[in-house]
Amino acid sequence: MAYKMRIVATALASVSLAFPALADDEKIVVGFATAESGFMEAYDKPAQEAAMIRIEEINAAGGLLGKKIEVVKADTKSDRAEGAKAGLSVLDEGADLVVVSCDYDFGSPAALAAEDAGQVSFFLCAESVKAGIQGVGPHSFSASVLAPVQGATMAEWAFKEKGAKDFYRLLDTWTVYNKGICDGFDWMMPKLEAQGAKLVGEDTFKNEDASIAAQITRIKTLPKEPDAIMLCTMMPGAVSAIKQLRAAGINSMILNGSGVDGSYWLSAVPDLSNFYVPVQGSIYGDDPSADVNKFNTVYKEKTGAEPSSQYVYPGYVMIDVWAKAVERAGTTEADAVVAELEKMKDEPTLFGTRTFTPELHHQNKARYLIVETKAGKPGVVGEWTISEPVPMEAILK
Amino acid sequence: MLQTLFDALSLGSLYALGALGIALIFGVMRLVNFAHGDVIAFCVFALLWPSTDAMAIVFAGQLPWYLLVPFVLLCGAGLSVLCEIVVFRRFRNANPATMMIASFALGFVIRYFLLMLYSSRPKSISLLPALSQPIEIFGARLPLLQLITIVATMAILIGLTLFLRQTRFGLEMRAAAENFSMARMLGVRANRVIMGAFALSGALAGAIALIFGSQTGTVDIQMGASIMLMAFIATVIGGLGSLGGAVLAGFLLGAASVVMQVALPVDARPFRDAFVYGAVILVLLFRPQGLIAARGTKERV
Repeated sequence: MAYKMRIVATALASVSLAFPALADDEKIVVGFATAESGFMEAYDKPAQEAAMIRIEEINAAGGLLGKKIEVVKADTKSDRAEGAKAGLSVLDEGADLVVVSCDYDFGSPAALAAEDAGQVSFFLCAESVKAGIQGVGPHSFSASVLAPVQGATMAEWAFKEKGAKDFYRLLDTWTVYNKGICDGFDWMMPKLEAQGAKLVGEDTFKNEDASIAAQITRIKTLPKEPDAIMLCTMMPGAVSAIKQLRAAGINSMILNGSGVDGSYWLSAVPDLSNFYVPVQGSIYGDDPSADVNKFNTVYKEKTGAEPSSQYVYPGYVMIDVWAKAVERAGTTEADAVVAELEKMKDEPTLFGTRTFTPELHHQNKARYLIVETKAGKPGVVGEWTISEPVPMEAILK
Repeated sequence: MLQTLFDALSLGSLYALGALGIALIFGVMRLVNFAHGDVIAFCVFALLWPSTDAMAIVFAGQLPWYLLVPFVLLCGAGLSVLCEIVVFRRFRNANPATMMIASFALGFVIRYFLLMLYSSRPKSISLLPALSQPIEIFGARLPLLQLITIVATMAILIGLTLFLRQTRFGLEMRAAAENFSMARMLGVRANRVIMGAFALSGALAGAIALIFGSQTGTVDIQMGASIMLMAFIATVIGGLGSLGGAVLAGFLLGAASVVMQVALPVDARPFRDAFVYGAVILVLLFRPQGLIAARGTKERV
């Protein structure tokens, strides 16, 4: 059965391969070269659903440039080699925009295929600077916000709003994303130290470590428990680290990147408190913007479940800004669309503003909502935008 | 200082239990069972209801602890014995390399089975939450779980030693480990001994799953891999096939890892494991046969 399906699919693919230009004039095609199977699927699918919601909204309102947006998909199977093929496959089907996996490593093969073909590519929610000009080329963008902005936001907010003075830095060396959060924190810290904050210690661990007992012992030997621990990590190790910190009786504020947003894991650390996460929009139904809460309802109607984390939202933002650029350019021609995208400065979207420049196709400053988890219940407690954008040298560190 | 000792002992316990699970099977079959890590993961997933949602649906995990612990141990033992019957029995006369590849393949099958049922997204579970609180002991404040881990490991080791030394089955198993064909000729029933070894090894995997699960609160299809690697290294430096060596090396590895984390300067700490593996290489240079070489594996002259 599967084999027959594959033959049919191949036949269809070769037909569309033979007539790629035919469709171009009547419709606009968005190609998703994302993971529909394998381990990246869990990360790609939610943002892709959000992108589909924006596409349906646009089509319902009459389409883009008077044409309906069509969607084609190719599965990367969470594999880099398959990713390149998936990219080529959606390009063959006439994609004007190639949407690629959330993560730079898994999305870049398809993005590079789009770059070679001179088409615009968008990472669903990658937060590395490489997901853009620096790692792919001048036609590549990311819909999310750079990881260093998250670390910088949390440090400045904790100092200014919560009066945290003694900071401790705990880095999980597994991914570039984790390092990015701490890079932003490192860039912000000297500014705060000039105003009275202090870095009282630092340590590293590995995401897969069965135990971080030695790291915890180091924190416990400090003369005084730090006010805040900047925890630069991601799932699944984050849960393990948080659980062990609290089990050892350390009650400091824990500051995080957006990667730990969501309530799906909170059962592992019952009654977690004093825990803070920056998010682009709230999934908890208490976003200050009514439109975000409305989006959550639509998302639930469509997928059967509420967004599981804030990483749903960049998918929506992506289609939103791209469609605006196409509208303004009056064409889907890649260079014209890129030029329009690069003109965007503090462009409002449902989930904060977006700015793209010819140097950076990513956000080095962003408004973040701060979600506090108190007695196991997460909720928005504030909003913070860093005082100045994170400079290129801190981003590229 | 005392705190560091407890840190080292509790991490070492995990590695020692893992190493023991691998050494047991290697002893009777000359098989390095790379599926062991996936058996660990399976045991934790067995507590959840299959679903691909982000939120874990806890099922068997809600059992009271006196049912939960035997359930997980039985899960591990059951799966492990099933692996033996379905797969490894057919490879009994194959050479060790073939068996190793088969165990790799089996590990993938288990892992992708879990992926299919539960998706790749790591899930969270509150396993034995009563253990996640700090207690005071000899002036060191440590999580209760750490203490339980150490005590449970000691109990398992003592129990296993008694079992191997005092019972007929244990005697047969030790005889089989030393010289399998000779043991068979003397009336040891191969299938029974091998199945017994797999059951024990699986139950040990279950024990690790319980400790690991309650320590990290995380269920992930890849969770067995890192422990498996460390446990495998422990069995090698302990002396392949030597149960005592595996346990000793497991504790040493745990201690080395904790001591490096404490002693290394902050810039070198990300490379902690490189230092640990460096130490492993040194040990193997000086004692290529392992710390405690198993009698059955020595070259006869």
